[in-house]
Amino acid sequence: MTLQFQACMLVGALALLAIIFIFLKKGLMTVKYSLLWLGLSIVLVIFAAFPYVVYVLRDLLDVEMPVNLVFLLMFCFVLVVLLSLSIAISQLAEKCRRLTQANAILEKRVRDLENRMQSK
Amino acid sequence: MNTSARILVLIPCYNEQDNIVRVVEHLRETCPWADYLVINDCSTDNSAELLRSHGYNYLDLPVNLGIGGGVQCGYQYSRLHGYDVTVQMDGDGQHDPAYLATVVEPVLSGKLDMCIGSRFITHEGFQTSFMRRVGIRFLSAMIHLLCGRKVADVTSGFRATSAEMTSFFADHYAPDYPEPEAILAASLQGFRVGEAPVVMHERLGGVSSISAVKSVYYMLKVSLSLIIDRLAIRRLRPGAKH
Repeated sequence: MTLQFQACMLVGALALLAIIFIFLKKGLMTVKYSLLWLGLSIVLVIFAAFPYVVYVLRDLLDVEMPVNLVFLLMFCFVLVVLLSLSIAISQLAEKCRRLTQANAILEKRVRDLENRMQSK
Repeated sequence: MNTSARILVLIPCYNEQDNIVRVVEHLRETCPWADYLVINDCSTDNSAELLRSHGYNYLDLPVNLGIGGGVQCGYQYSRLHGYDVTVQMDGDGQHDPAYLATVVEPVLSGKLDMCIGSRFITHEGFQTSFMRRVGIRFLSAMIHLLCGRKVADVTSGFRATSAEMTSFFADHYAPDYPEPEAILAASLQGFRVGEAPVVMHERLGGVSSISAVKSVYYMLKVSLSLIIDRLAIRRLRPGAKH
């Protein structure tokens, strides 16, 4: 990894870290969903600050270019984040469906009650 | 018809302003012994206003859930009010209330937990297009393979369910394209599923919710769901209902 690339990666990772904290502070993201992103940015900071870690991993996995290893790991990480988002969306859709149904049944009860009160 | 039993007819309705009044009036004339509940799935046309002005019994979903979520809401309503038999009937006029008793009878007499109105027993009336029949045949074979139950008209939305079956569907029902999945889920849970011959009509007006383009998606989604259901659901009550 060249020094320029390392610097870019460090700046990028720190920016990501800062953005996540700003989002958390403004309440745009809950801590639950920020954990994966925080993990990713911290790992990136470590990679950029201590390239030695990447070289060791490179030797372990026998990858030609250390940079490719960084890309591969980032890609895997993004996949995990996307999968977790799909799960979260599915659960939200299920909750939304239950709420809608409960609301519709409640609305009917209220409507029937109002009609009965009016006719009295 | 045994009038002491409480029967609820669910009519899912999404943008059916051309049909819904005719369907409800026809049902009330033909089967005065049955209660009905129209489920307005957040229609964007005039359906809600029609239901309100005619003073019909209806549920109004605040957001569009699709046929599965809407019908499930109807099952929840039915369970809440303790109906003996719940019947699902399409809001587009395809299903003739004259056959309501035919579909309800096997459930009411305790022979079946779910009775499906099938157009493929006597082969009378509207038989749908060739391609759709191929698709239905395929899904039917698939369900037979996955649970050993032979049902010819797996996509028919004209079906009666017992109180116990209704309660199960109130908790577990596929959100979209639920008909074939419901048969498999019910069979795997040990409920008795069967068919009764009915005659169906072509829809009176409006357009079907399943277009030609969506058909491929429909087949893929339903096939995959069936396999997933088979993998996920254990036979919880083996032999209890056979």
